[in-house]
Amino acid sequence: MTSLLRHRVTLGWLVVVALWVAAGLLKPGFARIGHLRYLLELASITGIVAAGQTLVVIGGGIDLSVAAIITFSAIILPLITFGFDPTGLLAISMTLAIATAIGGLNGIGVVLLRVHPLILTLATATILQGALILVAGGSAVSTVNPAVTFLGNGSLFGVPMTIVTWLAVSAATLAVLHGTVLGSWLYALGTNDRAARLAGVGAGPAVVTVHAASGFCAGLAGLLLLGMNRQGYVGIGEPYLLGSIAAVVLGGTSILGGRGTYLGTIAGSILLVTITALITVVNASPGWRAILFGGLILGLLLVSGRERQA
Amino acid sequence: MGLFALLLALLALYAYLYPGLLSWAGIARFTQNWFPVALVAIAQTLVMLMGGIDLAVGAMVSLGTVLAATLVGGSVLGAGLGITATVAIGVVAGGLVGTIVALFGLPAIIVTLSSSFLIGGAALLVMARPGGSMPDWLSEGLVGVHPTALLILIVLLIAWRVLRATPLGLAIDASGDNPTGAFRSGVNIVAARIAAYAISGGLAAFAGVYVAAQTGAGDPLIGTPLTLQSITAAVLGGVGFLGGQGTLRGAVAGSLLLAVLVNVMFFLGLPPVAQYVMQGLIIVAAMGIKRLRERAA
Repeated sequence: MTSLLRHRVTLGWLVVVALWVAAGLLKPGFARIGHLRYLLELASITGIVAAGQTLVVIGGGIDLSVAAIITFSAIILPLITFGFDPTGLLAISMTLAIATAIGGLNGIGVVLLRVHPLILTLATATILQGALILVAGGSAVSTVNPAVTFLGNGSLFGVPMTIVTWLAVSAATLAVLHGTVLGSWLYALGTNDRAARLAGVGAGPAVVTVHAASGFCAGLAGLLLLGMNRQGYVGIGEPYLLGSIAAVVLGGTSILGGRGTYLGTIAGSILLVTITALITVVNASPGWRAILFGGLILGLLLVSGRERQA
Repeated sequence: MGLFALLLALLALYAYLYPGLLSWAGIARFTQNWFPVALVAIAQTLVMLMGGIDLAVGAMVSLGTVLAATLVGGSVLGAGLGITATVAIGVVAGGLVGTIVALFGLPAIIVTLSSSFLIGGAALLVMARPGGSMPDWLSEGLVGVHPTALLILIVLLIAWRVLRATPLGLAIDASGDNPTGAFRSGVNIVAARIAAYAISGGLAAFAGVYVAAQTGAGDPLIGTPLTLQSITAAVLGGVGFLGGQGTLRGAVAGSLLLAVLVNVMFFLGLPPVAQYVMQGLIIVAAMGIKRLRERAA
């Protein structure tokens, strides 16, 4: 039992289950299938952003540009949806290509200029922030792109498209992490960068690939958000920066790299969304809500997220 | 060295664009814009020298402004007590964050990210929307036509020099540079880390007092952009991420570079948002040139 509790991925899932059972008993409306499905829909946005973040973090980096990329894709898509593209699929592919390219640039910067990923992605976020205000002028943009609306609101065999998309992203992420050479490279790089390079790990391609993947995930999350809200505005991605990092860490992945799995991040994403939902139920003032949120994350970290210090 | 050369060139350009800079009032006005960023850059550097990072700096500045606007009284005694109390709360809050990082071995990035919510939430509790007031004479003294800010900055840099000659300062220096070595030489690295976070919290809270004096009120959200600017300034000034690399002097120079840049861009008539793009490009360029040069050497 103690070894089970010490295993952080399992612990994350146990906390989610315990929280759902407790909340279901205390608040009858909580355990309704509709509400739980709604929570999972919200969790899928965080989960998809956190998929790219997990890859980057396991490889020993961090991506602070995800919020800016989410906002960027949510605002750029309506601007590049043209009349000759009635399905809206061309706009989606172009947006995802741009998001992936921005992520790839992050990776190239980290590899070629040898800038710490924290700084480089922070700089990217700052640049995008300025570019966004220049492009969108600070006002909200709405979209009628049918493909995006379907992604955000449609469903496939009764399962919301957001969750279907999340399942697909999860499968791909887990396959990459645990079934490919790239995955093994990431764990090696995150554990000991120098040793990994000496052992012949393709550090450059690996870093560029995960940053590009993180950009893609953030872009995809931006499209889903846009589809759910039907509106994109400056700041729409903000909550997902802390959200994605917290989901990764709460899911038992070491922020220092080398250890962890996306299975834990999935639990972390659900956990975060549940906490946020419960705090909303309490109906507290914004100040108390922020304190509760920060306090709960810190508390969960103290319970589960201890790192051995260097 | 490249940084100081660039800095001089930009300052010269700024003085050319705005000849009013070369007077007491001009210098006073310029340092006032620069001062809060310089303070948070110092606060950030103290933590980064210990191998940490503080993503709660901006929230702490916000908390400082609302506390100052609530606590600072009209009389000299009342103002002194209010400022002392605000800075003391900053020291305690910073110390608590430092304790969690140092004692429980949690990564600084995620602890300070959560703390930014706790501290920012506390600021919202003190004041849900901008309000409160600062005594006029205090605002005039700190932000008026006299270069008070520049004086405080010089005093702070001298204070850091003095601190580094004391056992505590030595401990902070040593445990940032080489934690294992410092520990084996009998330095209490846990205490040194907590002290660094506590001093950093106090400085950020004082930056809040200054911002409140500047704007004449408290604002629970005003500090948010300062987190990024503090890191940018520190990195531009050559402070590294692994601890023990960089100087406070460098960080202050980095913050000066940011401030001059924003002013020059303003005078060149560039739209305000262009400074974001510029700021980002400058960080990447500065870091990239440094790395490429290191590699060539």
